[in-house]
Amino acid sequence: MKLCTRTTNTIDADELRTLLIDAANELTGGESRLLEARLPWDGYPILLADAEYHPVLVSFDPINSQAALLNGLRATEQVATALPWLNQVYDALQKQLRPPRLMVVSYDPPPGAEALLAGCPDLKLFGYKIVRIRQEAGLLLEPVVTGRDACSDAAPEPEAPLATRQERPRTGPVALPTLSDEEKNYFRQL
Amino acid sequence: MACQLSPAWQRKAVSPGRMEKIRDRFLSDTPETGADTEACQVIPFLLDNPGLDWVTSNLCEVLTERGHDSTLYPLPDTEEPQAPLTDSLREQAGNAEFCLLPTTSAETVLAHAFDHLVLLVPANLNAVLAAYQRIKLLAEQAHTPEIGIVLVGPRDQHAAWRFFRKLAVGTLRYLDVPLLNLGFLPEQVIPEHAPHDHHRNNFLTRISERLLRSGFYSTLPYGKITQANV
Repeated sequence: MKLCTRTTNTIDADELRTLLIDAANELTGGESRLLEARLPWDGYPILLADAEYHPVLVSFDPINSQAALLNGLRATEQVATALPWLNQVYDALQKQLRPPRLMVVSYDPPPGAEALLAGCPDLKLFGYKIVRIRQEAGLLLEPVVTGRDACSDAAPEPEAPLATRQERPRTGPVALPTLSDEEKNYFRQL
Repeated sequence: MACQLSPAWQRKAVSPGRMEKIRDRFLSDTPETGADTEACQVIPFLLDNPGLDWVTSNLCEVLTERGHDSTLYPLPDTEEPQAPLTDSLREQAGNAEFCLLPTTSAETVLAHAFDHLVLLVPANLNAVLAAYQRIKLLAEQAHTPEIGIVLVGPRDQHAAWRFFRKLAVGTLRYLDVPLLNLGFLPEQVIPEHAPHDHHRNNFLTRISERLLRSGFYSTLPYGKITQANV
């Protein structure tokens, strides 16, 4: 059975929720913990705790980017109001009362994304695509960046040293290759 | 919107030499001579730990029961093979159709430069990471073998698929190495849980069928091949 991939646009909200929970580390940029898979508010956002014990709200909608954004903003307000209570309930927040960060995931960026990102440092927007491997679905997350960020992203990445692709000498014990941070992060959780 | 894919799914930007490697592999394939009676098919297995040797021994029995006379030849640990592998195999394998070659040493696999390799991977994240590191080591060589995966001890088929997918997407993304899913052995059939589980043979049979159907073995004509072109 060969690994075959194809992209598809069709996904329902629950499947997207599962994939986002799987990709929580990519969303928060580090190790994260799931606090609530389905908050009982509009859009049923996801609540995570990031590596620095910040609460992170993930608001999403498979199609409607405006709904994802508005639901997310509303939930952020509610989380901010309920912060003392949340810190009592969830040990993962370490009672630090940190303000919530908001991640909005939708197929297209919501209107006014550039202005929103420029004015809200705690907001991140992601586009997504679904990749199908046979019957299993995977998620491609595409951060929406401002023009300034895009410029910095466009800087060429330093090339990997050529030595890493060279054949190893056959003498002496062969050490297993080291892993990059990206690889370590990828294999941190299933 | 700048397109920056999630690391989990982003394919490597460039894969220098990939096409050359594929072309070299096909050009160096030995043409079939029809002298099957003097050939032995070898299937190398890289085990995560020595405790998995029951998989290869049971698989050997299953292949034989299914009419493919098979034998087991645990590869001696070596980094520089001193004698041609075929010499040892001729003595060990006799007239066997298949010879299964288990080893726990990645160095031994490197030394023999096999065309095909089956990795036995326990179904846990540490073992998946260890398997990835071994594949990365193999991918750094001039000729990366075709790699098949057998997951050992997942809870069920779904769990097996999730572990395989984690590994396969990782190797494809970071190493540009595709993997072949050869099947799994669920935890309820491993000897620790069930010493005499009769379902074990069913799963092993499926794995053997996939090995045979996909031609996942290398042919060694006795007396003509050395380790350099195994």
